[in-house]
Amino acid sequence: MGQKVELACIIDDDKIYVNLVKKIIEIKKLSKNLLIFKNGKEALDHFKLILENATEDVLPDIIFLDINMPVMDGWEFLNEFIKIKNNFEKKITLYVVSSSIDPRDLERAKSFNLVTDYLIKPIELKKFEKIFDRNGHAAA
Amino acid sequence: MLNDLQLNSILEDFDIAYWKINLLNKEVTWSEHFNTLIGNPEFSESHFDFFLKEILHQDYRYDFRVYFDKLTEENEAFSIELKLKLNNGKYRWFECRNLKNKENNRETAVLLFVNIHQSKRDQYTIEENFFYYRETAQMTNTGGWYIDTVNKNIYWDNVTKKIIDCPLDYQPPYEEHFKFYAPEEHPTVISAFEKCEKYGIPFKVELKMRNLYHKDFWVRATGKPVYNEEQEIIGIRGVFQDINEQKVNELNLQNSLDIIATQNSRLFNFAHIVSHDLRSHSSNLCLIVELLKDAKTNKDKIELIPNVTDISENLDSAINQLNEIVNKQSILRKERRIVSFEKALSGVIASTSSLINRENAKIVAEFHALKEISYIPEYLESILLNLITNAIKYKHPGRKPVIYIQTYIKNETPFLEVSDNGLGIDLDQYGDKMFGMYKTFHENLDSRGIGLFITKNQVEALGGSISVTSTVDVGTTFKIKF
Repeated sequence: MGQKVELACIIDDDKIYVNLVKKIIEIKKLSKNLLIFKNGKEALDHFKLILENATEDVLPDIIFLDINMPVMDGWEFLNEFIKIKNNFEKKITLYVVSSSIDPRDLERAKSFNLVTDYLIKPIELKKFEKIFDRNGHAAA
Repeated sequence: MLNDLQLNSILEDFDIAYWKINLLNKEVTWSEHFNTLIGNPEFSESHFDFFLKEILHQDYRYDFRVYFDKLTEENEAFSIELKLKLNNGKYRWFECRNLKNKENNRETAVLLFVNIHQSKRDQYTIEENFFYYRETAQMTNTGGWYIDTVNKNIYWDNVTKKIIDCPLDYQPPYEEHFKFYAPEEHPTVISAFEKCEKYGIPFKVELKMRNLYHKDFWVRATGKPVYNEEQEIIGIRGVFQDINEQKVNELNLQNSLDIIATQNSRLFNFAHIVSHDLRSHSSNLCLIVELLKDAKTNKDKIELIPNVTDISENLDSAINQLNEIVNKQSILRKERRIVSFEKALSGVIASTSSLINRENAKIVAEFHALKEISYIPEYLESILLNLITNAIKYKHPGRKPVIYIQTYIKNETPFLEVSDNGLGIDLDQYGDKMFGMYKTFHENLDSRGIGLFITKNQVEALGGSISVTSTVDVGTTFKIKF
């Protein structure tokens, strides 16, 4: 079984969670490569760099974005990312992932067009596979 | 000269009736008009007796008899206001007085009865209105004033003087009358008076005034232009209503309402944060259970175990942290005491000496303007502790941390300021989140993002407020208004 997507990206400050997701992706061979950022700012800097160097081939197919992070949280990242996103030709699927069950967070996430869905942690293994499946085909 | 008939008709036209009194036998006869007024009655007793019994209101019988006797016996003039029952059965006011008696006429006297009912009623109405005005003015603390803009004079009535708390013989200075308004109100007052004086625009405003002893209080003020016959504005007339009590209550109420609203929203926030915090660990736990179930070999399973350890440790510390917040909040039940800033600070310095020494931090305190305050001692220490450790944690890498702590009183309100020379923070970007829970702006490992949240809570729980000013790379100042 081949990899479902080329490059996945996780923006999250919870190291344990990131480790576990990494493990799942490895075991289930969901993605060939994985980009990990521990807050919104690091991720944004990275994407801006890609834009400057015009190296779109290293853009992820799929992003999992946490909300509560130090320095730059998920919302701030989304607001910045909107501004540069249209410069990329590649289709990027973005999921907001949080352990918050606050309905206000859900509403807010849905108000962004570029957010495909709001996922509440924990995400089951099967759900992970489904998400990668769907986006893998779309990207292929 | 007029004859009796002509005289009669004139008196009748003026609604004046009269008596003729024979001074020798004290017999009374009355004019036709008088007879008509009282309804042409038939009676058997004498005119005088009938008058006393049936026509004159009982309240005046005694007085009238005394005057009558004096007139008939000593020829003494009199004038009395009394009520007579007329033909319609109702009492009306009359003025009764004797016609100036000529010295030589010792035989007859003339008593005139002039209808004064209308003017008497007007007088009552005026008195009544004046009574209502005075009572209303006193009860509502409303005083009148007049500014004569032509002769440059100011008039205050007694209630206004009472409101301004000045002696009754105080003459307000025309040129300086703005000193009776709080400085922050001057633009409003000047513009209102100017517009009224120049263009005749009336005003109705709520203002903070300042009495003779520099104490501020709230009034509602109205002013209207006064015109002369040429329709030129010659002054401004208006009233002040002392609404200090209501206004202070209103402001207190609004303040309490704001505190309750923010506390409520924080509580709501707190509940979500608790659920979020605990959920992030429990969801990791769920994830690991799934991975364990899915693991093919024992080696894979054993590799996952350290993660379980991490999660349980994190969960434990998260619960401790939440517990810490709840504990600090519940100190509210404790009482205020007089706390010395110096003592509170030395306590804090002693408990953080290792951090202060390690970072070589310098703390300068200036408490001479305000040495102590009535506060919950644990709160004051906690506030100082949080602000000091905050300043040291976010020190500038290029210099030793210096923390300047100062207390002072401004506008009768005590303040505490804690300034540092640290990293500073971009308030445009983070200002509104500064005091939120778990908001950390720097990637320091020991930043937990609850210190300022707690500090704000403590300050607000005791009715104060906290604000922050900061410049990146220069430093930050926290200002607490107690």
